[in-house]
Amino acid sequence: MGKIERLTGDLASAIGRERVKTDSDITDRHAVGGLAPSVVAFPKDIKQVKEIVNLAVRDGVSIVPWGSGTKQCMGDLPSRVELVISTEKMNHMLDVDVANLTITVESGVKFRDIQARLATQEDRCYLPLDELGKETDDIICSERTRSGCFLPLDPPFGDKATIGGIIAANSSGPRKLLYGLPRDMVLGVRFVTPKGEIVGAGGKTVKNVSGYDVSKLMIGSFGTLGIICEMTLRLLPLPERMETMILGFASLSEAARFADALLRTKLIPAAVEIMNAGAVDAVCAKAGISAKGATCNVAVAMEGFDEAVGRMKKEMAAMGERFGATARAELDEGGHNPFWLSFGNLRVMDKEKSNDILSVRLSYPISEWEKIYAICDETLASEGLKHTMVCHAGSGVTAIDIMPDGKDRHDLLIQIIASLREGCEAKGGQLTVECAPSQARKSITTFGRPGAVSVIMERLKKAIDPSGIMNPGRFFSLTQQ
Amino acid sequence: MERGELLTSLKDIVGEENVLSSEMDLALYGYDASLERGKPDVVVLPGSTEDVSKVVKLAYRAKIPVIGRGSGTNLSGGTVPVKGGIVVHFSHMNRIIEIDIPNRTVTVEPGVITLDLQNTILKKGLQYAPDPASQKVSTLGGNFGENSGGPHCLKYGVTTNHVLGAEVVLFDGTVVWLGGKSPDQASYDITGLLVGSEGTLAIATKIMLKIIPTPEAVKTMLAIYDSIEDAGNTVSAIIAEGIVPATLEMMDNLVLKAVEDSVHAGYPMDAAAVLIIELDGMADGMERQAGKILEICKRHRVRDVRLAKSDAERAELWAGRKGAFGAVARLRPSYLVCDGTVPRTKLPEVLGKVIQIAKKYDLPIGNVFHAGDGNLHPLILFDERNKEELARVHKAATEILQICADVGGTISGEHGIGTEKLKEMSFIFSESDMHFMRDIKSAFDPVGIWNPGKVIPQRQAANA
Repeated sequence: MGKIERLTGDLASAIGRERVKTDSDITDRHAVGGLAPSVVAFPKDIKQVKEIVNLAVRDGVSIVPWGSGTKQCMGDLPSRVELVISTEKMNHMLDVDVANLTITVESGVKFRDIQARLATQEDRCYLPLDELGKETDDIICSERTRSGCFLPLDPPFGDKATIGGIIAANSSGPRKLLYGLPRDMVLGVRFVTPKGEIVGAGGKTVKNVSGYDVSKLMIGSFGTLGIICEMTLRLLPLPERMETMILGFASLSEAARFADALLRTKLIPAAVEIMNAGAVDAVCAKAGISAKGATCNVAVAMEGFDEAVGRMKKEMAAMGERFGATARAELDEGGHNPFWLSFGNLRVMDKEKSNDILSVRLSYPISEWEKIYAICDETLASEGLKHTMVCHAGSGVTAIDIMPDGKDRHDLLIQIIASLREGCEAKGGQLTVECAPSQARKSITTFGRPGAVSVIMERLKKAIDPSGIMNPGRFFSLTQQ
Repeated sequence: MERGELLTSLKDIVGEENVLSSEMDLALYGYDASLERGKPDVVVLPGSTEDVSKVVKLAYRAKIPVIGRGSGTNLSGGTVPVKGGIVVHFSHMNRIIEIDIPNRTVTVEPGVITLDLQNTILKKGLQYAPDPASQKVSTLGGNFGENSGGPHCLKYGVTTNHVLGAEVVLFDGTVVWLGGKSPDQASYDITGLLVGSEGTLAIATKIMLKIIPTPEAVKTMLAIYDSIEDAGNTVSAIIAEGIVPATLEMMDNLVLKAVEDSVHAGYPMDAAAVLIIELDGMADGMERQAGKILEICKRHRVRDVRLAKSDAERAELWAGRKGAFGAVARLRPSYLVCDGTVPRTKLPEVLGKVIQIAKKYDLPIGNVFHAGDGNLHPLILFDERNKEELARVHKAATEILQICADVGGTISGEHGIGTEKLKEMSFIFSESDMHFMRDIKSAFDPVGIWNPGKVIPQRQAANA
């Protein structure tokens, strides 16, 4: 009997035959960069994950953890894809503690279901509820807590992504400007280590310095240090009022002057997003909003107390005029929520337009945003490449989807990546390739140079995953075995 | 390595005047604000990252412990050299290296005093949010090592939420930069792991911190209660109402009286408890929030709510809170502060139990703490010279931490484990949790030079 057959049999006896799949339609759906696993396991809880990992350790089989798969195109290609552990059946909300502003969930719970579960008395929610209601298959959120709280994250793929995937990929969106990163929200985690042990860290309190802050290490480790199975997250009271204003400008420099001036006021916007025309048009079309993108646009999310949002609107409208805005759209909560959900799905929409999409994410010191935006815009425009571009001003992140038209442009794409990466690294930044056509992906490094810190990352990976089975090669090509 | 040889080598690195080795010096660096005592072999005062790197390289080769130290305000024994070794005292590395306003960052050496940084950047309309009560003395290097908290952490988060990066010296003397001005890069969050690791994984030689604009408006209130339970319930009720104040601090009667005697902040001496509630942010809507809070306080039978009408009045309210530990310390020769933290809603229950423990062990216990984030600080007062009393103190402290752990809380919110809470680690961590931490430790410290005897208890013998 081969290694995989034996493993499959043992997995079936350990966690139940119905939870272990080798059918090709299922394994194909869980392929990473064209590499399909031999087995996909669907554990129901952390204990089963432990049993699976122990068997994998015994057989030296590599593991790829899988949530909804929305971010499997990120990271380097794993060197081996043998066993996928899906968190799909680990979709329970274990503790919704509104009074303490915490929620504890299993990692397979979908982000949108958390928000829907927290929806308030009036059915106010941090996502557009009606839209979510249409997909009724496995929604746990029919049960509402009427909490008046929300989970202050707005990651990409907000309607599909699991919370485990969001945390493992350290995924965040425009509103981190106000609320912070996943590292600021995660209070505790429980995970299964690559040695097959269940480990917990942190807890339900915001302050906690007991032992090492292991949660921080797990956030953004792309499943290379263990499988996150449960986590406790911090909630906030749902803002009294949520609105958005989109201002159009004739040029980047005018938009930049407005955005920078806004960030210097005492106003506290939730997001200040610079978007090119293509991005505004795509997002608005999907959200059913009639606004039309100007050359350069600034979309500002305002979330807070009624009076504060009112003043922000008033002052921003006046500032917009002063800085030469050519268009202004105002969205109330009914438009605000669909707009930002649709914003998170921009890449999904862009993917539908081009099979050869190339997506990159640049992060850099926040003051460099205009220069970075200009370099990217000029480089792409000079090659006539269609693209959407969004930039979290004030948070130091720009995301670009390049959509080449049919023809073979791989060499050009590789060249563009190299040039943008050089520009970004020169400003002390980092360019990450988040999605690339498979042919181009082989010639591009995902993260660029890891720098001096790779010494300690490598040592950590070896200490925690000595047999190198957990997503090997995925993150900075660590422990390529 | 011979002691003489060690001293000579260290003097070659940092200069003769920066190596302290007299019995008096060693005694002075043998303790911190906890009850723990130790004695280093030698103390060095480096002037640069290069100095630190060379000292660490030497220590690594000779397998001598290295203990970083700021002002020694640590409350859990984290800076006490319990196994001897080299204390690296950062008093000479106290420069603010850069204030980068466009990127909202500052870069400092570890010896910079927390409040000095704050005062420098406040002049520019910016602030560093964490405000540990010891900020007048504590260093940013110490805040980094301990992941310090403070009253304003309820809204703004603790030290780790404000550290963007650090230059650190690794076990073999290698110097690496972690993180940096780009706030959101793909990498293992090594910075996040090091903050709060109490000097057991590496030593920071430069720290990059996030700074934020000062709020447009601040409103500070003092709510006075005749029952500690009513005060506790008010805390949960405010948050439940959808208001997250910047701070929600509580002091009980014992502490109030001590503070009034020493600081004269104008607190009522006969109240059972007071809350200091502060709102900050945009001015719009703040009046209405304050009104809501007043209503909630009334619902919970508040005696009186005083509003600070000027900056001076606000400073006075805070002077009392920040001077509380010092004030209480005047009552008895020694005090032990427990740092247990619980989910906010459990506060009234746990406070009640703390009062019972005080009775059971016949010890005066004062409470002054960060109520908003459930971070208790029962102060047990005693006389260290009375061994019998000291034994009762330790028993009472352990019992308080057990109660915190039992209600779903933790044994330290902001003071760290150090040596003091090693034995209580098992209240909240399983052997496999600690095994994972040891794996991390082994990656950073293969020969065991970093602050030995702290944070992670020794592995239990197999069949013990």
